[in-house]
Amino acid sequence: MSNEVTASIPAGNPTAKAFTLTSAFWFAAATSFGMIGAGYLIAPDLMANIEYIHFGRVRPMHINAVLFGFVTPGLLAAAFYYFPKLLRTELFSQKLGVFTAIFWNITVAAGIIGISTGHTQGREYAELPWIVDIMVVVSFVLVVFNILMTIRQRKESILFVSIWYTTAAVVLTSITYCLGNVIWKPDTGALQGIPDAIILWFYGHNIFGLLLTPMGLAVAYYVLPIATRSPLYSHTLSLLGFWSLIIVYTHIGTHHLLQVPVPTWLKTISIVDSVAMVIPVMIVLINLWYTVKGKLGDIHADIGAKFVFTGTIYYFFVNIQGSMMALPHVQRITHFNNWVVGHAHIGVLGFAGLTALGGLYFILPRVTGKPLYSKFLADVQYWLVLIGITGFALVLTTVGLIQGNAWYNGETLYRTLPEIQPYYILRASLGTLIMIGAYLGLYNVIRTLYFNRGAST
Amino acid sequence: MYYPYFIAYMAAGFVISIVVFLWALHNGQFEDQQRARFIPLQTDLNTKPLKASRFARIETIALFSLVCIVLASSVAVVTFALMKAIR
Repeated sequence: MSNEVTASIPAGNPTAKAFTLTSAFWFAAATSFGMIGAGYLIAPDLMANIEYIHFGRVRPMHINAVLFGFVTPGLLAAAFYYFPKLLRTELFSQKLGVFTAIFWNITVAAGIIGISTGHTQGREYAELPWIVDIMVVVSFVLVVFNILMTIRQRKESILFVSIWYTTAAVVLTSITYCLGNVIWKPDTGALQGIPDAIILWFYGHNIFGLLLTPMGLAVAYYVLPIATRSPLYSHTLSLLGFWSLIIVYTHIGTHHLLQVPVPTWLKTISIVDSVAMVIPVMIVLINLWYTVKGKLGDIHADIGAKFVFTGTIYYFFVNIQGSMMALPHVQRITHFNNWVVGHAHIGVLGFAGLTALGGLYFILPRVTGKPLYSKFLADVQYWLVLIGITGFALVLTTVGLIQGNAWYNGETLYRTLPEIQPYYILRASLGTLIMIGAYLGLYNVIRTLYFNRGAST
Repeated sequence: MYYPYFIAYMAAGFVISIVVFLWALHNGQFEDQQRARFIPLQTDLNTKPLKASRFARIETIALFSLVCIVLASSVAVVTFALMKAIR
C-alpha cells in the first residue's frame, strides 16, 4: 500500500461510531435482562406478576440482546474500521453503513419488545418473530452489500485474513439465519419433531461458530499485530485456519443432541467435526500467540489489545471444552445442565464479547481522533468483566457437575435444588460485576464519542 | 423432512466455497504471503508501542493465574466424567 492512500482516508467513520454506540448500549441492556433472570433463579417469585419480564421472556431477551445487540455490532464496528484500512480504500457507502446501524437497532428493539410482549417462536436462540427474522436478514444483506462493494473497489490486491473471516461470516450467516429460522414458514418458524431440533441446533451453533468466531478472530488478527508492532507470524497459516474452520464447523451443532433420537450418522459427523475443531483453533492460537510472543507487557499497556488477547485465551477454553463435551462419555455428565450454560458464557462473553470490547476500545481513539475518555474506567471494566466471567466459568461448572452427577445416579431433580441455590446467589453476584462493567463501558463510550475534551491525537 | 433444506444449503455452500477458492487461487491471494504479514502494520503507521508498566506485568500474572484456575476446573470435569464412565 502506499502510505499516501492510507493517509487520505478520513479519520471520521460514522458507521464504526454508530455500531460502537449500538454495542455499548445493548451490552448494558442485555446484562440488565440477565440480572433479572439471575434474580428469578434465586427467588422464583421475584417480580412474578409482571408478565413482560417473567423468566420465560427475560431469558430470550437477554440472549438475543447479547447476540444481535452487543457482540455482533461490536465486532461489526471494528470491521467497518479495518475494512477500509486493510483494503486501502474508503468504505463503499458511509450513508448506507449508518442507515444499516439505525435499521439494526430498530430490528433488535423490535425483537426484544416482541419477545417481551409474548411474540415468540419458542425455539432456543431463534425466538424472534417472523417479521423480525426478515429484518435481521435484511440487516445482514445490507452489511454484505457494503463490504462486498468495498472489496470490489479496493486498492490492496491481497485480502488480509481478517477480510476473509468477516466476509465469510456475514455471507454465511445471511443464509444460515434463513435456514435455521425456517423463514419459509412464517406461521410457526419451525419444522416438526426431531428434524426441527436438528435444524435448530445446526443454526444455533453456527451463530457462534460461523458468525461470532470468524468475526472475533478477524479482530484479533488485526489488533494484536498492530498493538505489538509485530508482523503476523504466518499469513499462510492464518488462511489454512480460515479454510479449515469453514470446512469443519458447519455440522457440529448436533453434538447437543447426542442423547436424543437423531440419525447416528449425523451424531458421528458432529462428534468427529467437534474433535477436529482442535485443528483450526490451534492454528489460530499458535499463529496469534507466536505473533505476540515476548510482548505480553506491551499488550497489557494497550486497553484494546488487552481485551482481545484475553478473548483468545477464552477462545482456547471454549473450544477445548466443546471438543471434550462432544465425547459421549463426557457428555453424560456435562450435558442438559448448567455446565453448558457456563460453556456458552465462556464462548459468547469470554471470547467474542471480550474481543468485541477490545475492538471498540482499539478503534475509538482512531475514529474520534482523540484519546479514550478514561483508560481507568476501561481498565476497571476489564477486571469486572474478567472476574465475572471467570467466576461464571467456575460456578456454573460446579453446578453442572452437581446436577449432572445427580442425574447420572437417577436422583430426583428437586432434591438438587437446595444444593445449587448458593451457587445461583454467587452467579448473580458475579453477574452484577459484569453489569456494572457494561454501564461503565457505556458511559466511557458516550463520553469518548460526544463529550471528550481531550487533545487530538 | 429436513434433508432437502440441508442438501440445498450444503450444495450452495460447496459451490460458493469452490468458486471463491478458485477465484482466490487465480487472483494471486495465496502468493506474496510474506508481504501479507505486514499489511495491518502498514495501515497503522502512527501507533507506537506503549511502554509496559509494572502494573501491566502484575496484570499479566493475575490473568494467567485466572487462566490456570479455569483450566484446572475443566481438566477436573473431564477427568471426573471419564472416571464415572469407566466405572
